Amino acid sequence: MRVLAYEVRRLRGLRSTWLILAAVLLADAAVAVVLARQLPAGQLGTAAAVRCVTAVVPLLPLPIAALGAGALGALSYGHEVRYPGLPAGRVSYRRRLGLLVAKLAATGVLAVLLAAATVLLDAAVLRLLHAPGARVAALFDPASAGFAEVLRPLVFFVGLTALAGWAGLLVTSLVRSAAAGLLILCAVPALLEPVLSLLLRQSGRVWPAQLRELLPFQYGLDLVRGADAQQLEVSAALDGTLLAAVSVPAVLLLLAGLLAQIRRRAL
Amino acid sequence: MIQITGLTKVHRRGRAPALLDLTFDARPGVVTALLGAEGAGKTTALRLMVELERGQGITLFDGRTYRRLRRPERQVGVLLPTAGGDAAAGGGHPGLKARAHLRMLAGAVGVPAARADELLEQTRLAGVAGHRLRSFSPGMHRRLALAVALLGSPGTLLLDAPTEGLSPRNVEWFHSFLRSFTVSGGTVLVTTRTPQEAAVLADRVVTLDQGRLVADQPVAEFRRTRLHPEVSVRGPQMARLADLLTEQGHQVRRDGGVGLAVSGLGRTEIGELAYRHGILLHELADRVVEQPVPHPSLPTASGRSGHVLLNPPDAPGRNRDDTRPQPQFGQSGLPEQADQSGQPAERPEEQTLVAQLTAATIATATAAPERPLRAVSLSGHQLFRDEVPESSTVRPISRPVTGPDHRSE
Repeated sequence: MRVLAYEVRRLRGLRSTWLILAAVLLADAAVAVVLARQLPAGQLGTAAAVRCVTAVVPLLPLPIAALGAGALGALSYGHEVRYPGLPAGRVSYRRRLGLLVAKLAATGVLAVLLAAATVLLDAAVLRLLHAPGARVAALFDPASAGFAEVLRPLVFFVGLTALAGWAGLLVTSLVRSAAAGLLILCAVPALLEPVLSLLLRQSGRVWPAQLRELLPFQYGLDLVRGADAQQLEVSAALDGTLLAAVSVPAVLLLLAGLLAQIRRRAL
Repeated sequence: MIQITGLTKVHRRGRAPALLDLTFDARPGVVTALLGAEGAGKTTALRLMVELERGQGITLFDGRTYRRLRRPERQVGVLLPTAGGDAAAGGGHPGLKARAHLRMLAGAVGVPAARADELLEQTRLAGVAGHRLRSFSPGMHRRLALAVALLGSPGTLLLDAPTEGLSPRNVEWFHSFLRSFTVSGGTVLVTTRTPQEAAVLADRVVTLDQGRLVADQPVAEFRRTRLHPEVSVRGPQMARLADLLTEQGHQVRRDGGVGLAVSGLGRTEIGELAYRHGILLHELADRVVEQPVPHPSLPTASGRSGHVLLNPPDAPGRNRDDTRPQPQFGQSGLPEQADQSGQPAERPEEQTLVAQLTAATIATATAAPERPLRAVSLSGHQLFRDEVPESSTVRPISRPVTGPDHRSE
């Protein structure tokens, strides 16, 4: 509990936290405005609506909110490296793990809140800007059939944001530099996505639609390739192999982070 | 109570160790100062004590190592410079406000935020608590770091150069604070670079030189042996005065072109002597200088390494032999040599041997019966002040070593 209080006070006291949050939300709103302007009139497709609401920009490796969460996680660990707190919290392995867990928790909660705020803000923008509005409302009506289809990618989006925050924190814990951690975090999806999709194609599957819409790099590739991207619009369920493929690197990262702490004298 | 045993740090194999077998105790109710020049290993010693660095040796805080303490923040307050060695950084994120920084760490320690505000008041930072650490001066950073060390109301303080960068007024405040802290039974270990500060601040002074313990003395003895009161004399007939003084067995050295530095004799007596012999004086002033060569190490009198008494030698040992530069007698007297004559070793190869075997010496001394040893270290022409013959009775400041009272604990 004490480390959690420390972490919350640390986040609250730093200006960079608020700046990152504000910057992410502003960028999200701006992207949503641009995307909403470009949307065709009439019935809004699920994919387009999700992209607009989560403010996914092609060629960025991750959604903006996920990048913000990653930056928060990286800075959270980078702070301890550059301005270490009390020596008591640094010397024993148990305490360092406690601090790491507190940081993961705080970053996770913050990332989820950030993702939720992004979705709400962009939904409001979409609602205001998309021309006649009536058709959009149907998508966001809990009673409608399309709602579940929109909701699932949004849940993925929230999870992706939290995962990015944790990844930023853990990668920084390995390289001990916030900037390097953030760069690696940006590089990993760009490397991982094509490899994963190649593997999936080899095994005769495609990206599940829910993830395709959220991973901007893949989306960007599809955009560049143009028309034939439409053919891949096969909705595949998120089966176990893919979940494993995504979760194995995450678990490995967590283990590496924990192992790295063993031989250290400081966080 | 901090028991430090055998702290050793070797940065790279084959290089000289940054710290070699440092052993001493810091007792409750006493300010212990770790004195040494830059690079003597003071900070390394402190970092080893809290196990922020890997090394050999064990430090016990009331019987437990730092990482085994149940609530380390509540028991030991630590002030260490940041890893970067940047004194101005002081350990806080520059974007944090002082109050937020202290409250954040209060959260980590587990004390209420009110305690942080109280400490800001105590360290006279309450007025600037709302400003970011970026705008803090080194002295303000020091005081903030001190407030951080005090957050958990610890009974033991480990402070690395706490007065570095403080203004004289704040140094005074800090000294009085340490006094009141030790009066209430706290244990304090501070490091400092200046012997003068050590003399003012501490009750016990541990001197480090290039990672080796060279002396562990009560402050009275430290003042006497390391802070060396001198009288500076100037005038046109200094050669004659010097002759007179050396005849009487006082310690005289040239000080600049026409000056003399006399030790072992008060200002008044020098003035009288000069007057009686018709010597004209232009200046006659007291001053305190630092003894350039550290006093030989006294083996620590802790329960773990044995209780070794260092007494003045017997009568033959007190024969004055001022003109001959006394050899550097290792870190401490070897008992065997003391057995033979009470005189220090004279063969250089023996001295180097002695210098290499400090730890072995202490071990031997532990085994040997408690017999008087004499450890003497002098460089070049420097004379040993304690061995002034009894004829010079008027010695207001430095008194001869006559009893074991201040050496035995």
